[in-house]
Amino acid sequence: MKELYASLWAESLKVRKSQIFWITLSAFSFVGIMVGLMVLVVKYPALVGQSTLISAKSSSSLFMDNWHSYFELLIQLVLGFGLLGFGIVSGWVFGREYVDRVVTDLLALPIHRSTIVMSKFIIVIFWSFLLSFTIFLFGILTGLAVNIAGWSIGITYHYFIIFLGASILTILLCTPVAFIASFTRGYLAPVGFVIATLFITNILPIGIPSIIPYVPWAIPALSSGLLGPNFPYPGIINYIILFSYVILGVIATLAWWRFADQT
Amino acid sequence: MGLNGAGKTTTIRMLLGMIKPTSGESYLKGEKITANSHKLWNSIGYLVEIPYSYPELTIRENLEIVRRLRLLNDSSAVDVVIEQLHLGRYQNRKAKNLSLGNAQRLGLAKAIIHKPDILILDEPANGLDPAGIVEIRELLHDLAFNKGVTVFISSHILSEISKIATRIGIIHEGRLIQEMDIDQLHQLRKRRLLINVEDKNGAISILTKEGFNPTITEDGFLKIISANAILHPENVNSLLVHSGYVPSLLKVEEEDLESYFLRIIGEMDVIK
Repeated sequence: MKELYASLWAESLKVRKSQIFWITLSAFSFVGIMVGLMVLVVKYPALVGQSTLISAKSSSSLFMDNWHSYFELLIQLVLGFGLLGFGIVSGWVFGREYVDRVVTDLLALPIHRSTIVMSKFIIVIFWSFLLSFTIFLFGILTGLAVNIAGWSIGITYHYFIIFLGASILTILLCTPVAFIASFTRGYLAPVGFVIATLFITNILPIGIPSIIPYVPWAIPALSSGLLGPNFPYPGIINYIILFSYVILGVIATLAWWRFADQT
Repeated sequence: MGLNGAGKTTTIRMLLGMIKPTSGESYLKGEKITANSHKLWNSIGYLVEIPYSYPELTIRENLEIVRRLRLLNDSSAVDVVIEQLHLGRYQNRKAKNLSLGNAQRLGLAKAIIHKPDILILDEPANGLDPAGIVEIRELLHDLAFNKGVTVFISSHILSEISKIATRIGIIHEGRLIQEMDIDQLHQLRKRRLLINVEDKNGAISILTKEGFNPTITEDGFLKIISANAILHPENVNSLLVHSGYVPSLLKVEEEDLESYFLRIIGEMDVIK
């Protein structure tokens, strides 16, 4: 426990002192605020004057002046933008040790390498949750500020539980990203991988929708129930696929740090 | 000691469990090394290649991380090592803004913060200015001779090694080709007697007559490699003086480590 605490302390200091921590926090706050402001544009189209691009975007069915659709939009954000953000977080936490060439400092210590890896995963989860809550909090605050219609504690609680579930599942999807960052010793490949997963997840419903329940990256969206009646909630098999993918990511990362030659 | 690519860093990585030997095993303190030799790492300090640190963290923060990861309870360990490596002025400077010399000092500070029994250093004098090299040499000397620390250094800066090492190994293309105490090295190095005298031709004829067989070096000195002359240069001096060729210089010169090293490596390449 002392080892884990020491490693967590070190990881948290590295994160707190990094620029990327504050950049991601700002980006997620900004996204939360922007969603609320788009609803404001729906309510008052005159605000954007002649800007056809913004008025076209805001008048789409995405942005409506009610809390149901607003919360669904926040959940969709954490499923898409969140996956990208959490992937970058995971790629950075593991990849930076190689990019900054400090990994040798972590390899011959009284602390097990597995403890170092697990503490990194814990930091990724904490950081990602913080980003996730940032979107939700800033989304609600902006929503209240622009006076979206029909707010209540009950509706907030209802969607918060769905948001929480979507966040947890999306964050867990980042474990293979940690392996890719360690394996390729950098940031580029993990970020590329996350973008590829986002792309695949978005293109599949158009191409072969029947495969969607078996694609790990799509299961959090299915689980949130936002994809409509054509996409039922995932069953036990689908969750097994998701969790197998997550566990495989953890095992591969641990094995890489333990067994691979660190040159 | 070894040329670039000889296997110095590979050996060090193997000793630290960072890479597995392709054949054989490696041991430290009689214990076989694996990636899980965590107890052993308590007593080992190391610096592998260029000492990188977390660039956005200060010297103090970088050392604080190492202190925690080494499970050291004594929070003053950071202050002690900052003092020891003369990093006080820079302790709040971010690692990315350090000179190469100070980055090297930080690397050494990370290696010795836990007072290890064995210190494994890969090119510790890299990037240091002459004053820094002397400072590090004195630190390592103090650790080795006053605190009983075994210091294992890889280097290609041979002049530096010859000033500090008590035992030397030469590796070439992944193989240890020689290992010896520094005293033995003195015996193995070629020695020669150098003489400077005004009338060189006259001196050569006298010396040749006595069987010393002198030659002339590029610098214009007379050179004798006969063991008798090297062991008893005073006899050569008497001979020259009594023959009217008074030498202005007479010294026994030992082949420097660099020449010895290159000669041994060259011989290995010829054998191949």
